[in-house]
Amino acid sequence: MEYVQTLIYGIVLGSIIAVAGMALSLSYGILRFANFAHGDLLTAGAYFGFVFFTLLGWPMYVAFPLAMAVTACLTLGIDRVLFQRLRQSTPVILLISSFGVALIVRAGVQLAFGPDTQVYARGIEFPMQVGGLRIKPTHLYIVGGAIAIVIGLHLFLRRTKVGKAMRAMSDNADLARISGIDTERVIAWTWLIGGAVAGASGVFLAMDTQLHPVMGFRLLLAIFAAAIFGGIGKPYGAILGGLIIGIAEEFSTFVISPAYKPAVAFAIMVLVLIFRPQGLLSGVKT
Amino acid sequence: MPLLEATALVGGYGGADILHGVSLTVDAGEIVVIIGPNGAGKSTALKAVFGLVRVRQGHVRFDGNEIANQRPDRIVRLGLCYVPQEKNVFAGLSVHENLEMGAFIRTDDIGSELARVYEIFPALNERRGTRAGDLSGGQRQMVAIGRALMLKPKVLLLDEPTAGLSPRMIELIFDRIKEINRLGIGVLMVEQNAKFALSFAHRGYVLAMGQNRFEDTGPNLLANREVAEMFLGG
Ligand SMILES: Nc1ncnc2c1ncn2[C@@H]1O[C@H](COP(=O)(O)OP(=O)(O)OP(=O)(O)O)[C@@H](O)[C@H]1O
Ligand SMILES: [Mg+2]
Repeated sequence: MEYVQTLIYGIVLGSIIAVAGMALSLSYGILRFANFAHGDLLTAGAYFGFVFFTLLGWPMYVAFPLAMAVTACLTLGIDRVLFQRLRQSTPVILLISSFGVALIVRAGVQLAFGPDTQVYARGIEFPMQVGGLRIKPTHLYIVGGAIAIVIGLHLFLRRTKVGKAMRAMSDNADLARISGIDTERVIAWTWLIGGAVAGASGVFLAMDTQLHPVMGFRLLLAIFAAAIFGGIGKPYGAILGGLIIGIAEEFSTFVISPAYKPAVAFAIMVLVLIFRPQGLLSGVKT
Repeated sequence: MPLLEATALVGGYGGADILHGVSLTVDAGEIVVIIGPNGAGKSTALKAVFGLVRVRQGHVRFDGNEIANQRPDRIVRLGLCYVPQEKNVFAGLSVHENLEMGAFIRTDDIGSELARVYEIFPALNERRGTRAGDLSGGQRQMVAIGRALMLKPKVLLLDEPTAGLSPRMIELIFDRIKEINRLGIGVLMVEQNAKFALSFAHRGYVLAMGQNRFEDTGPNLLANREVAEMFLGG
């Protein structure tokens, strides 16, 4: 029973990592650089949720989509101010710049909300007892929300013109340009979608734990591990990668101190990079 | 005045010039073939016409517009579409999605163009949902050409559309290109199967070392002893 309980915690954490990893992988496929600010976009999303839900007292079903929307706008704004000017630069320059963005976003959050931890709602949430297992309603919201986002993203990528163009550009950017696809518009959509999903992951993370200015950055390693696990640039692979890393991190607490949880993601990432750098799922058709 | 007219193009990939004064014209509804040895600059010439290679000197006029060094999305809007030699399909997208991406800039109904492409290439109709990357080489070439047809082009630029295909498939692709041409679409194509291509082309150019060497009607080039000895393998 203890194992099943741990599995549940693992699935909850894994869902958060999976959704965040999917967005990171998607944006990598189109923008072709590893966005180190992704974790801090989660943080921003979590705090936007805090403003709407906790400070303004709006219901979660209003606060959540608003947090997504505002994070999406912030992300697009960062592109307009910074990344758009660097479109012709090499990936290394973009990567370093994204590190700068990460620091700025984190500092902004800390300036606005202080360095202390906060929570969405005070008081104790009573878990439901299901056959000896403890399940909190927030766990259901997180997993349900993650599933909804994955389905939504899937439909967006498969059914809409812009979604298909995002896959096309990720496949072959030169051919996309030759075909007359407005690549700048596709990039703008990529930031918007990536930002919205990052914002959602941030709210999930805050629901699961607490708010803190480095909450997203601390998860960045796991998010990268999930994206690399599934083959970076392939958003569907990150779903499995996220779940496996989430579950592995929770189960690791049986053998090592919980403080070392992030090391598990790191170890998985290193192993994947050594033995299957193209990702475990590469070659699998999606 | 020709529909497409490239005049004395000089340019390359940033280093030394590859093109040293190439000139080409295509009239409405014409099939024009470019032949020449490997590395002659045939692909580069097509790319220069389509704005993918920097043109330092010379002009490219299409349908009354100067298009040298213009962005591809502007050029395709004018009705000039390009199929590159390699990596010319979106491998992860289905056949149908590839065709839709060819029409990305269009906001009107693309149903009639889709129907036309499937009519020209019935093999694609049966494989609408197949990933383009899973198709045979010949079918991939059909997808690539079909994608370029989605914008109702006036002229199509094709870079070696039959490279690496079986003799039967080469014949089929050439047959389809003739069919497309009968719809009134001009074709400018680079071809290694030079004799075959010249046999149905209206006109042909022989490029060597980044310059025009010969230009004539298809039959005349085939009959030219010098061209036959140097470029058609005797
Ligand atoms: N992307 C590039 N960057 C730099 N140089 C290039 C590039 N592509 C081609 N070249 C050079 O330009 C010259 C002409 O190449 P091009 O591809 O136009 O020849 P081609 O006539 O199409 O030959 P082939 O029959 O092999 O396709 C060659 O010397 C080649 O090395
Ligand atoms: Mg070539």
